[in-house]
Amino acid sequence: MKDYKILGKSVARIDTPLKATGDALFTADIKLPRMLVGKVLHSPHAHAIIKNIDISKAEKLPGVRAVVTREDSFDVRWGVFKYTQDHQLIAVDKVRFVGEEVAAVAAEDEETAIKALDLIEVEYEILPAVFEADEAMADGAPLIHEDHPNNVNIHVNIDVGDVEKGFADSDYVREDRFSSSGETYGMLEPYTVIADYKAAGALEIFVPTASPHTKAKALSNLLKIPLNKVIVRRSNVGGALGGRSDIFPLDFITATLSRKAKRPVKASYTREESMTCTRQVHDMIVDVKTGVSKTGEILAQDIKVIMGGGGYSSTGPIAASVPFLVWEETYRLPNVRLNSYRVYTNKPIRGMYRCHGRAFLGGLGMQLDMIAHELGIDPVAIRLKNALQAGEFQATGSKIFGCGLSEAIKNAAEKSKWAKKRGKMAPGKGIGMGANGMMCGFPMGIRGGSSAIIKFNEDGYPTILTGVVDNGQGNYHAMVQICAEVLGLNIPDIHLVAADTEVTTLDMGAYSQAAVFVGGNAVKNAAEDARQQIFEIAAKILDCNADELAIEEGKIFRKNDKNSAIGLHKVIRKGLIDNTPVIGRGSYMPEVSRTREWVSNPKGQQAGTFSFGANVVEVDVDMDTGEVSVTKATGFHDCGFPINLKAVEGQYEGSIASGGLGSSLMEEHLWKNGRMLNPDFLEYKMPLAVDMPEISANVVITDDPKGPFGAKEAGLFGSMNSFQAIGNAVFDATGVWVKEFPITPDKVLKALAEKEKTVK
Amino acid sequence: MSTKKFEVRLNINGELEKIAVSANETLREVLRERLELTGTKAACDDGSCGACTVLINGRPARSCLTLAVEAEGEKITTIEGLAQDNQLHPVQQAFVDHHAIQCGFCSPGMILTGLAAIREQQAELSRNEIREAISGNQCRCTGYAKIVDAIQAASKMKSEE
Repeated sequence: MKDYKILGKSVARIDTPLKATGDALFTADIKLPRMLVGKVLHSPHAHAIIKNIDISKAEKLPGVRAVVTREDSFDVRWGVFKYTQDHQLIAVDKVRFVGEEVAAVAAEDEETAIKALDLIEVEYEILPAVFEADEAMADGAPLIHEDHPNNVNIHVNIDVGDVEKGFADSDYVREDRFSSSGETYGMLEPYTVIADYKAAGALEIFVPTASPHTKAKALSNLLKIPLNKVIVRRSNVGGALGGRSDIFPLDFITATLSRKAKRPVKASYTREESMTCTRQVHDMIVDVKTGVSKTGEILAQDIKVIMGGGGYSSTGPIAASVPFLVWEETYRLPNVRLNSYRVYTNKPIRGMYRCHGRAFLGGLGMQLDMIAHELGIDPVAIRLKNALQAGEFQATGSKIFGCGLSEAIKNAAEKSKWAKKRGKMAPGKGIGMGANGMMCGFPMGIRGGSSAIIKFNEDGYPTILTGVVDNGQGNYHAMVQICAEVLGLNIPDIHLVAADTEVTTLDMGAYSQAAVFVGGNAVKNAAEDARQQIFEIAAKILDCNADELAIEEGKIFRKNDKNSAIGLHKVIRKGLIDNTPVIGRGSYMPEVSRTREWVSNPKGQQAGTFSFGANVVEVDVDMDTGEVSVTKATGFHDCGFPINLKAVEGQYEGSIASGGLGSSLMEEHLWKNGRMLNPDFLEYKMPLAVDMPEISANVVITDDPKGPFGAKEAGLFGSMNSFQAIGNAVFDATGVWVKEFPITPDKVLKALAEKEKTVK
Repeated sequence: MSTKKFEVRLNINGELEKIAVSANETLREVLRERLELTGTKAACDDGSCGACTVLINGRPARSCLTLAVEAEGEKITTIEGLAQDNQLHPVQQAFVDHHAIQCGFCSPGMILTGLAAIREQQAELSRNEIREAISGNQCRCTGYAKIVDAIQAASKMKSEE
């Protein structure tokens, strides 16, 4: 590992002391003068036409300051892409799921707001509803959006090579079905919005968001306000896990309440509303047919995916593609076909999740083990055989740059003592592996890049302006570390202003695993630009050329003469008086295909670089109850270069909880007629500290050629491949495959009983 | 809702507060809304997540399940009451040093719960004892690993005092 002054060390983060004292403000902690309370009326029906809404009684209730309904929509539909704009963010013609936002009230206090909701009379005409994705796709199913036959929201078709020939050439072919139910994101912070629509026509909004600039653009469209008048302020984000990137009805509704009341409004969703009405995780059915050579080389794959999308499209095309993209980032797939359907249902809206696609990535990774088992090949060996290498191209055309996938697989196997354990453990105990690649950034056009500004005060200390967001993963600290390293300063010397659309420039936020890779490159370039300006000014004082200078500890000196040092503040002041103020400016746009499109043209370079990881999990299965516990997890992560090692470790450890134990073993929403039965943390079980195994988090350093100081995405490998690692470990422990996630005790017992039957 | 108010005296972080509360007002509401001690977080409303944990007479309690009138005369410690003279409490410092904080939403409750376990410890806590102690507090970011590291380090310090 390269030795830097600031980077690569495990240093305490700049943001955490305030979080430790309770002083860090989250949105719900903020109070504005004369602020009202907003409350939302939700649909009790899964699918119904709204015939009439009568708000006259609610408006007359003393203390009510504004009521918002479909009358206040500007008839603008939100969607991530032009072709997915299907959501007005308040129900207009009909409701499409239980919980959809129908009306809202702003009042002097919460009690009055709730009373007013009771006074709103909505007349519905109930329509037949459909809840499961496969049923929604069937002919004759009720149409949720009339212009989408068979309720297909998105169909992604990828066809590479000659799949039929690949199967014909295969020595072994098998077909499996995997499935998973819908989940919750489970971030602790309930969704809250504060909107202050000012008389001058600007909207100030405080909101936990992973992508403030995207939010501003959507609100600009929806509210018909110029983009520079939409001020999305960063407040601390109490966990995101992929679920804070989208635009939500509460954003639009709170802003509209404030516009009408001419006062600031705070609307906080309850736990139940947060779990029902922001976003949930797709349920999924995956059919996969795979052909291999007798040595385990993948020759052909044909994959069909059906995903329950809920009432609206959200990030539909991305959601329908990402599980496959992660798979093609991992293994060589010479002939491969994907038909992925995201289908509208009368359930709440589904979005992207940190552990998105458990049936897909869990299923395909388990099928790889099934194939290995049939052919008598070790699961580690079959992964190494098919693993992509640096310089190779993925199926849809992305080049791999730095790649530590094989090293991660080998290291994880060695450290976990795989060879001594696999197939050799006591009955009920087992070990399994998962591996994957991960894109650092999605193809997002103008939103795929980032820029940063570094300004200096006359005392010599800089402030970074960047659109990068920190949801808790340590992105802010990483930006400061990068800047400090380039400018020869210490971390406390630097101030950071981030994710505030009034001052920061366009950035996708903490979205698509690109904050350190893209935002970090922009900050690095801005710091280098500032350093060059500093050297040019200092060269005049020190009477030398700019390239003869170095900067350390806030002093600039000739490389060959440390005694020549002058303070940075003197250089900054000279810049000011000479009318050459130091303002560092940097940007980064990842080198991705300009013609690649999610649905119409999924070909070409999709991300600027890719990270990789492998994960070995050990389980203990109670053969009487079917309960699976995870006893150990060992991960190796090619994150390029760890800017802050403990922050990188923390991402893997967290993913063993949410992706590992949570998504693999415990978590699922339960439904009755489109109504969620477990919209709370009592009934929806998430991993607790007692459930957790000891975790060994490790890195593989590859110094990515594209990343800032070699860094790239950190953390998603554990959440994206724990499903397969655990599913495979359960097989090692019990001899049965459970192909439905989560792997709950009843499914394990059923599989064991079936196995017993076949043996008899 | 009844409009009748009850005057309660609460000892919060060593300061005596006299507040008129409704019968159904929770301690969390009083802390967050009346006293603006927003370090105590609201996340679930049913006692399942632990984000609103405060110490009542040194023991962790859910402030969302505690009525303000029940806390009359009790000694309440919130997260704001730990740091002294701009110095983090050793448990807070351990959370910072060991990267036990990511998004930070569970941190106040988690720190107070860890502190209570350390104060009651007979000897340095084992990792499993720590896991038991904090299992009423949910964290979605960290996988609890570094939280256990932090509490263990603080527990070790305490046992060596």
